[in-house]
Amino acid sequence: MDRALLNTHAKLVARDIHRLTQSPTEANSFILGGHACISRVETVGTIVSRDMTPKFLKFGVDDGTGCVTCLLWLNQLTSSYFSRFDPSTVLLLASTARKQAAEIRIGAVARVRGRVGSYRGAMQISATVVVVERDPNAEILHWLECVRLGRSCFRIKSQIS
Amino acid sequence: MANSQIEAGAPINLQELYPSSPFYKEAVSLRVTGTLKGYSIETAIGVIEDGDKSLRIDTQHLRDVSFRVGSIYQFIGELHIDPNNEAILQPRTGRNVDGIDMNLYRKTIELLRKFLEVEDNRNMVE
Repeated sequence: MDRALLNTHAKLVARDIHRLTQSPTEANSFILGGHACISRVETVGTIVSRDMTPKFLKFGVDDGTGCVTCLLWLNQLTSSYFSRFDPSTVLLLASTARKQAAEIRIGAVARVRGRVGSYRGAMQISATVVVVERDPNAEILHWLECVRLGRSCFRIKSQIS
Repeated sequence: MANSQIEAGAPINLQELYPSSPFYKEAVSLRVTGTLKGYSIETAIGVIEDGDKSLRIDTQHLRDVSFRVGSIYQFIGELHIDPNNEAILQPRTGRNVDGIDMNLYRKTIELLRKFLEVEDNRNMVE
């Protein structure tokens, strides 16, 4: 199993995120293309759903190959997980998450980076960074990068020109 | 898991929308892009065009999008075929994409489709 990509944000289309399989040897890691072990992904797509709860914002990203559910946690000030961090860091994390949540609206194109996981049988991204893209070509460039990386890095080279 | 029920809008060129096309079906989810050629405030119906093909867009559910004739828009939604066999898209999302490179867009969706097909075939072999 190739662990070189384990801590990299692998640029993937939604269809490939949904095809990840749980690693038999690494906790919280998934197998891509039969050999590469990954835990983080980056994807770009149009926001097609938005569901705000007190603890997190759940939103759906459609990149034309599938829809991925993403979670942006908003509980930094109340969760015990963050009590180990410096209070000023927690305040900064909370403020950043709130700002990102305000930018997430249906119809916008977002670049999402985060940890990939499985919840109730479906893959989802626990987002660490969400950036709303202004460039109308951002999705096109992401698709091209996914194709290039899919051929050259994530899998054995495909035989298409 | 509300999101898992949302179908992704398959990106297509308007040239691919003709009656015998696999995309020309009731309730199929599509992502279409084109220049807004006309828009009626009364009916909220717009017409987008790409080359010699056009498509009607029913924008009644898009409250946050302002429409300007001559600008390029991208919509994701479901196709509805009316009794006259004419298509109209009922979009869930819409956005202005002025500045998009349409030639690159057309070539890229073709490339992406081929890439996904090859990957599907590889997975079947494995």
